[in-house]
Amino acid sequence: MDLPVLSALFLTGALCLYVMLDGFDLGVGALLLLEPDERHRDRMVDAITPTWDGNETWLIMAGVAMLAGFPTAYSVLLPAFYVPLIVMLLSLGLRGVSFEFRYQTVKARPRWDAAFAVGSILAAFSQGAFVGGLIIGVAVDKGVFAGGTFDWLAPFSILFGFASLTGYSVLGAGWLHLKSEGKTKIYAERCLRWITPIFLLLSSATCFAAYQIQPQVAEVWSHHVVSLLALAAIFLLMGLAITLRAHPSSFFFDAEPFVGGLIMFACALVGLVLTFAPNIVPFRISIWDAASPTASQVFLLVGVLFVAPVVIGYSAFSYWVFRGKTPKEGWGE
Amino acid sequence: MTDATLLARIQFAFTVSFHIIFPTISIGLALYLAVFEGLWLKTKDAVYLQIYKFWLNIFAMAFGVGVVTGIVLSFEFGLGFAKFAKLAGPIIGPMIGLEVLTSFFLEAGFLGIMLFGLNRVGPRLHFFATCMVVLGTVLSASWILSANSWMQTPDGVAWENGRLVVTDWWRVVVNPSWLIRLPHMLSAAYLTGSFLVAGVGAWYLLKQKHLTFARRTVSLGLAIGSVLIAGQVFIGDILYGTMLKYQPPKMQAAEGVWETQSVSAAPYLWVIIPDQKNQRNLFEFGTPRLGSIWLTHSLDGRVAGLKNTPVPDQPLMGMAFYGFRVMYVIAIAMFALAAASLWLRWRGKLFSTRWFLISLTLMTPSGILATLAGWYLAETGRQPYVIYGLLHTADAVSPVPAGTLLTSLIAFIVIYSIFFTAFLVFVIRAIRRGPNELVDVRAPSGSLKRALRPSIMASTLGKKPI
Repeated sequence: MDLPVLSALFLTGALCLYVMLDGFDLGVGALLLLEPDERHRDRMVDAITPTWDGNETWLIMAGVAMLAGFPTAYSVLLPAFYVPLIVMLLSLGLRGVSFEFRYQTVKARPRWDAAFAVGSILAAFSQGAFVGGLIIGVAVDKGVFAGGTFDWLAPFSILFGFASLTGYSVLGAGWLHLKSEGKTKIYAERCLRWITPIFLLLSSATCFAAYQIQPQVAEVWSHHVVSLLALAAIFLLMGLAITLRAHPSSFFFDAEPFVGGLIMFACALVGLVLTFAPNIVPFRISIWDAASPTASQVFLLVGVLFVAPVVIGYSAFSYWVFRGKTPKEGWGE
Repeated sequence: MTDATLLARIQFAFTVSFHIIFPTISIGLALYLAVFEGLWLKTKDAVYLQIYKFWLNIFAMAFGVGVVTGIVLSFEFGLGFAKFAKLAGPIIGPMIGLEVLTSFFLEAGFLGIMLFGLNRVGPRLHFFATCMVVLGTVLSASWILSANSWMQTPDGVAWENGRLVVTDWWRVVVNPSWLIRLPHMLSAAYLTGSFLVAGVGAWYLLKQKHLTFARRTVSLGLAIGSVLIAGQVFIGDILYGTMLKYQPPKMQAAEGVWETQSVSAAPYLWVIIPDQKNQRNLFEFGTPRLGSIWLTHSLDGRVAGLKNTPVPDQPLMGMAFYGFRVMYVIAIAMFALAAASLWLRWRGKLFSTRWFLISLTLMTPSGILATLAGWYLAETGRQPYVIYGLLHTADAVSPVPAGTLLTSLIAFIVIYSIFFTAFLVFVIRAIRRGPNELVDVRAPSGSLKRALRPSIMASTLGKKPI
């Protein structure tokens, strides 16, 4: 079996899980900024508090899987995206400590909520800017990053940053719709109604721009016309459905917009994978050229084979324990 | 050394030093939480639940800061040290990958239940969650110590076309220093927990507040702490021998001696002002003959100094020496307090001896300082190598300009200062406020069935720890 392909599949899986799971956490965080009522903000944070840590762990998993399986790519991409990654790490830090610290204080809670929201927004934005930069391209010379600190910075990566911010917000609002009742739920519906069309607009613009600025994208897409069009069609239909149905008591199930958002993200992620594969540094270094020696691949993959099912098992159990509507009084001690 | 190299090293040193404070606290407290909850389940005495909840709050804060500062490190291998990542990624990458899989997810998966699930899953399953978090912290320490020990005493790899290839995973993971450095770090963390728990209790006793809470925690913290410090002295001695064998320059620097061989019986140095450039000490103060006795176990044994190591391969003596001395002096103080506690306990004066309680209060953060100092010895003493004997730190740095590194370093210092200030303020506030009053708790009847019953959702009530 082709080990680098398996490692790449695991890496992709971890990244996709991260984007979808922490995506809604970051989205809820971003939406805190627009909610003036502190009690409602408490409900919003409660909706993600018990499970956010596990969600974020998928990011570490993806980073470390790249270090273990594709050290060449890791050593090229991290210096190339030094600035957006540092911004992301510090923002995730701000967001993460705010979970704990906001409960410690009543007086300063609005300030920690602001830190929470700003951290979430910047993290979401920098992750988008990272992918935007990947599409713009990374300068590589003999397996080493050979570009400048701000090569990633361009109108396109900024556009991508906003697209991912609005996308995460759609996921976040969908999650809130699932987990909340009353005014918070109405607020979630309002967010869905307004942000989903913006997300559709920005992501369409991103696709057109990518096609224009990166000839390799145009080249790759010409090989996958049918599948990409199908993905785009599902994506657009889901987005339109969420937008049009986001009114009080018009959804059949509370989970509807969240599932719709996840489907949208799944389409977008599959599209990205089709665009980048089989390269790990897009358009430059393939997974086989970046792969670590066989012994390293085997060690990691055997670990994954035995441990990952257990991980998914108890992570699911944790979601199950905290299922249903978030209690109005919080989770208690 | 270029500016970029220096800045990358300062940034890594700053972020990793900041990080290790919090896992040390959370590893240590996790064990205590399991002990307290176990005692509560066994004795049904609500005081143990009160103790559990008080320390759970502080544990959660330490854990939170530890998580977010730990993520930074897993990316910093590439951000600051890309060439290290490329060379060592195939070796330490899979180990850290297994750490994430076996430990980080375990902690994260059960932390939510531990913090918010008591009323949802019932006490028994909740205790299980606490134990899983303890297991997660131990596994995490095991893997990361294995990776770090491999960098200290690399084994099981071979050079192949300019890259390192693993020839024997067993020898990589169980490298020559792991099996002794792991217990050293774990008991350091548990000692940190012991002195935190006992120190806060001692302060309450001095203030005559929360007396039942305070007596239990002082008693338990000192009992566990006393056993640990005795073991730690023993473990430390073995580790000293291991490092002397595998990294002589580190231990030469740690003793503050320059001469290839001391001319007569060596003093044990407590304070030095080293002059690395001229390979001598500008000032030194020590206890005569004690160096020979401790280090060679004879009255006039000769002690080998740093000049045995060629200058380009020498670590900075000041860093290694003071890292070692701070750790060592704190260990002596811990040992003295532990011995005193046994005496006072026997005389029945453990909770009323004022000088002892004041000392114990002052020692509250001592474990954290000793752990930090020990890591300074371990990491600076390994220099100029990042992987001992295989890769120089200066050759490991990323192609990132110095200006960018300086900006990010300043950003880290600003944001981490906010984290640290907030953490201190909230912890001190929680300690001053003291534990919540005792409340009647529903009788333990927890089982999986309870967790899976939908009616629980409606009945979940409780107050946030404001």
